[in-house]
Amino acid sequence: MSMVMVCPACDLAHRRAAPPLQGRTECVRCRAPLQRPESRPVETAIALAICALVLLVLSNAYPLVEMHVNGATRDTTLVGAAWGMYQQHYPTLAALVLLTTVIAPLVQIIALLYLLIPLWRGRRARGQSAMFRVLMWVRRWSFMEVFMLGSLVALVRLSSYTHVIPGVSLWSCALLMIGLSALTTVSSPEQFWAWAEKCPR
Amino acid sequence: MSSPATGRSLGLLVCLECRSTVRNARHLAAPRCPRCFTRLHERKPHSLAITTVLIVSAALLYVPANLLPVMTTRTILDDEQDTIMSGVLELLHSGSWPIALLVFIASIVVPLLKILALAVLLYSAWRRESRLRLQRSELYRLVEFIGRWSMLDIYAVSFLATLVQVKSFANIIVGWGAWSFGAVVVLTLIATRTFDERLLWDAPARG
Repeated sequence: MSMVMVCPACDLAHRRAAPPLQGRTECVRCRAPLQRPESRPVETAIALAICALVLLVLSNAYPLVEMHVNGATRDTTLVGAAWGMYQQHYPTLAALVLLTTVIAPLVQIIALLYLLIPLWRGRRARGQSAMFRVLMWVRRWSFMEVFMLGSLVALVRLSSYTHVIPGVSLWSCALLMIGLSALTTVSSPEQFWAWAEKCPR
Repeated sequence: MSSPATGRSLGLLVCLECRSTVRNARHLAAPRCPRCFTRLHERKPHSLAITTVLIVSAALLYVPANLLPVMTTRTILDDEQDTIMSGVLELLHSGSWPIALLVFIASIVVPLLKILALAVLLYSAWRRESRLRLQRSELYRLVEFIGRWSMLDIYAVSFLATLVQVKSFANIIVGWGAWSFGAVVVLTLIATRTFDERLLWDAPARG
C-alpha cells in the first residue's frame, strides 16, 4: 500500500495515517472527507443487510396506503407507484421511479450480501471488483429516503379531500430508509476493501 | 508561495470509487485501478464540456418543467391543472405550510440552485479562479448532497396518479411538466457526477 494518499476532491497529497476509529478525517485543504473508520466487524454489515432485505420485502409486499372514497377502496404498493406512471404513458418516468425505489435498493442489498458473505467465511466472491462497481453505481441511484418524504407530501395533499390510511409498508419503508443509510455508512468503500484485503484469496 | 504536492505533481492517480492510490504508469493508455478495476483518469475526461452540455440542457428543460402542468385533476365538475408552483400554493392554502415549504425547497429552490451553482463552478474551473476555492468546493459538495431531494415531487405525483383513479369521482393525469422535471433532475444529477471538482483546485494558468 502506498505511503501517500491523494484527496479525491482536490488532489492534494497526504501522508497516509491510520484510519480513525470513529467519525472521519478531512482533507487539510478542501475539507472533504478523507478517511473513515475501517475497523468495524464484517458481521455488523451482514446483519444490517439482512435486516434491510427483510424490510424491503415487507415494503414491497404490502400496500403503502389505502384510500376510501365513495364507498370504493383503493391502495397502492411501491411497485404500483411506478406502474401507475407506466399506465399513463410515461415509461421513462416509470423506469426512473422503479429504478430509484425498488431496483436500486434491492440490488444494493443483494450485491453487498454477495460480496460480504464469502468474505465473512474467509474467501473472496467471484467477480468481486465488478460487483463492487455495481454496488457503487446503484448506491448513487437509491433514493428511498426521498421517496419516503415524497409519499408523505402526497398523503398530506390527499388527506384534505379523502380519508387515507397508512399501510404496513409505509412503516417498513421508513425503517428501510434508516437501515439503508446505516448500511451505507457501515460498508463504506474503504471499509469494504479493508475487509477484502484481509482475505488471502 | 510554492505549490503543494498533489497527485498530479507526484504522478499518482486516485481511484474515485475505492479511493486507492496508484502510481500513474504513463505508458498505459487506459490505466485501471488494480483493486476495483475502475478506469482511472488524472481528471475526469472532457469534464467541463460534458458538464456544460448537461447543464444547458437542464436549464432549457427547467422552463417547461415549471410552466407545463405536472398533473391534471379531472373531476365531474372540471379539470384542474397543477404546475409545480400551484401545487405549492395549494399546500399553503390547505394550511400545511411546513409541507409547502418542503416542496418549495425540493422542487423549486434545489433544481435552480443546482443549475446556477454548477454554472458558477464551471465558469470558475474554466477561468481557473484561485480565490474562494474552499467555498466553491463546499458549494459543490452541497450540490452533491442535496441533488437527489428534487426527486420528491416526481414521487408525490406518481403516488397521487396511481392512487387517485376513481371512476366518476376523480382521476389524476400526469402531465409533461412532470416528465420535463424528471429530466431536469436526472440531467443535473449526471452533471454533478461528470464535473471534476479537482479542476477547482488546479493551479491558475498564469503566475
